[in-house]
Amino acid sequence: MSQSQHSLNYIEHDSPMHRVYPLVKLIWVLLVAIGLFFYRTPLSGAVMFGVILLTAMIFARVSLRNVLSSAKLIFGLGLLLMLFHFFADPGEPVYRLGPLTITDGGLREGPIFFFRLSVVVLASFVLIWTTHPRDLMVSLNKAGVPYRYAFAVFLAMRFLPLIQREVDAVKAAHSIRGRAGRSGLLHRFKLWQRYMFTVLINGLRKAESTAIAIECRGFGAYPDRTYMKPVEYQAGSLLLIVLFVVLQTGLIVAERVL
Amino acid sequence: MATAAHSNPDILIDIQHVTYTHWNKSEPTLHDISLQIRRGTLNILVGPSGSGKSTLCDLFNGVIPHLNGGEFKGDVFVDGQNTRDVKVKDLSQLVGRVFQDPEIMFATLSVEDEIAFGPENLRLDIPTIQSIVNRLLDQMDLTSRRHNLVWNLSGGQVQKLGLACVLAMNPRMIVLDEPTSNLDPAATRDVHNLVLELRNNGITVLLVTRELDELLAEADQLLVMDNGRLLAAGPPRRMLREYGQMMIESLGVWLPETSEIGIRLLEAGILPGGEIPITVPETITALERAHLLVPVRPKHPTPDIELKSSAPPRGEVLISARNLRYVYPGGVEALKGIDLDIHAGEWLMILGRNGAGKSTLARMLVGLLTPQSDALTLFGRDARSWKVDELANHIALVFQNPEHQFLTDKVADEIGYSLLAQGITDDATIKARTDEMLEMLGLQDVADTHPFALSAGLKRRLGVATMLVGNPQVLVVDEPTYGQDQMMTHTLMARMQEIRERGVSVVMITHDMRLVEEYAERVVVMSEGEILYDGPSSGLFTRDEVLERANLRRTILHDLLGEMARRGMYLPADVRHTQDLLALLNVTQALE
Repeated sequence: MSQSQHSLNYIEHDSPMHRVYPLVKLIWVLLVAIGLFFYRTPLSGAVMFGVILLTAMIFARVSLRNVLSSAKLIFGLGLLLMLFHFFADPGEPVYRLGPLTITDGGLREGPIFFFRLSVVVLASFVLIWTTHPRDLMVSLNKAGVPYRYAFAVFLAMRFLPLIQREVDAVKAAHSIRGRAGRSGLLHRFKLWQRYMFTVLINGLRKAESTAIAIECRGFGAYPDRTYMKPVEYQAGSLLLIVLFVVLQTGLIVAERVL
Repeated sequence: MATAAHSNPDILIDIQHVTYTHWNKSEPTLHDISLQIRRGTLNILVGPSGSGKSTLCDLFNGVIPHLNGGEFKGDVFVDGQNTRDVKVKDLSQLVGRVFQDPEIMFATLSVEDEIAFGPENLRLDIPTIQSIVNRLLDQMDLTSRRHNLVWNLSGGQVQKLGLACVLAMNPRMIVLDEPTSNLDPAATRDVHNLVLELRNNGITVLLVTRELDELLAEADQLLVMDNGRLLAAGPPRRMLREYGQMMIESLGVWLPETSEIGIRLLEAGILPGGEIPITVPETITALERAHLLVPVRPKHPTPDIELKSSAPPRGEVLISARNLRYVYPGGVEALKGIDLDIHAGEWLMILGRNGAGKSTLARMLVGLLTPQSDALTLFGRDARSWKVDELANHIALVFQNPEHQFLTDKVADEIGYSLLAQGITDDATIKARTDEMLEMLGLQDVADTHPFALSAGLKRRLGVATMLVGNPQVLVVDEPTYGQDQMMTHTLMARMQEIRERGVSVVMITHDMRLVEEYAERVVVMSEGEILYDGPSSGLFTRDEVLERANLRRTILHDLLGEMARRGMYLPADVRHTQDLLALLNVTQALE
């Protein structure tokens, strides 16, 4: 069965975020990411986190369950990063735990790093959930990116499920071979090496054939191409950028003035 | 430089003395090939694995010499133009190629986007593209799937989408590389009907296949390749007359059973007119003319096919399922309450279209999927209490793609690994058992080769070897003959037979009806998660509703036997092969 279990895919329905021009959403993600480096306090990061979470749930109509199931891994990683900062950053010791000390610097920096990671990831997820990959490609192409390059991103998405299927098949095939390892860890490493080998070889073979096959279908025949489903730019999309620029500027100024 | 056969506007393809050597090979893959293809004709190309069929296909749309490196001599003219002088993008509008696995030609995510991809590259305007897409969706019966993701299609739909993508370029000719080798019989017929429809609409077709059936009767030219050379080309009936015997005996091409009978009649000197039959009515006529179609008295007292359900004595029950269900996490109900017993030493074939639940069942048997209730008993224990690696010593599964199972860098080590997994660590024993297995499956010459470097047939044999060396009680094989020619198929089947004689139960998943007719003792037909039929293969062929629901169809031989029976002939139920029928008609004796 090839149904993918994860929910990090384009979700087909209508929402205000779905209607925003794809390139504008891409720029929005970049703006959010840049803004994160100017925040000095965890509070600003928390505000951004909340705002984007609400954007996802209200304006992109993605359920909280869906958000959590896609992002739990990254959020967990963010928490680990935060813990690491608690102990590793310089500053006055606040709490001692055997040889480890938690510093006041760490308590401030830790959450900042947590929010940096999770806000960027959440914003990117909103882009993925609300943008058909084809539309993103078309808008990149319209913005002047040659379609051969714009397509590369798109083709990568096309290949992901194929690779996933291949990985699943190889894993299953290996597991029924039984275990011949004398050392568990070494055996696992060897098996892992073999997954990579098999998946890579088959992936390369497929990629080579695909390159030839799409050339035979006229790919790259002319410097430009037409699109059956054009994506129209509407000035209203810019509202997203304007609102976030105002919000981010407000946060940055507030941090420094208050 | 040579010139095209301009004088004859009927000729679309003119290949003159082409020799091609792949960049990483020392021997030419194509050897001095010359052939012509007329406009609006259906051409069928056959030949054993590795004979150069796919490489020949690369000539038509300019993949050779433009995209694939290597040494290319000779000339290929398409519509009067030398492919050396025409760009790939322009050739793509003359000749379209559907690849063996059409999935690799897909560049987008949804069905309709995929069809639009080619015309978009050609810069057609939006209304034109939309009308092309709508017309092809309709023609290929894919309209209801237009928004489907391209990887959520059935095998037949994938082939049709591949065909649609190529037709969207509006080519004069299409080349189909083994489009039906992984399709169930009903989907195969669908594709064949489409091919005929295209030819009748004036499109030139080249169909590469290993398996000839009634479609051959409609073909205009049959081309036979072996070892990089074009052995012969001509009208199918003449080709069958002159080369039929060779195609069966030394090339391992699957011919329709009807033609096989005709060829034997010709050999025996009892084919008046010398015309090899292809369809069932033609064969009946040939048999009539040879005075072989005379009502005969039964040799055995029980000739009724239906009665032959008394199965041979069965061994103990190894696997037992009672009301077995399985629901995938996404909610798809793959098995809807199955009752099945698998006995020691039996040969069981499981049939059914893609998505019927065959693979789910196979995966449960080897422990890759855990049942959701106590409905499955494996070797006397509840299936849920088994671990995968523990089960590996009792039951083995040979996957469709044997490459996925390989873990080492040498053929011999691959077998050694399985022995290690059984807990055998003594080097001498491993060596002895490995050698024994290599010899049994004819792999001793490639013992030091990398498994990935083997030919498709050898890979599959190695897959079987790694599984057999573990001495399983049950061997499950998924589509073992997919993409194999007749000789390889019979070799593999003979091995399975040997394995069975050693007391191992063989469970084979297939949709090759000829294998079912020839080899199966017990057949289980699945459809949409249920078992529709469980019994002898002869009984299956009389159940129209089962065949229809499971997308299966009778073999041509069975159709022929039915027609002969209608004409008053008594046929014993054990006629499963053309040889059985020929023996019955005393043709074999005439040959000796």
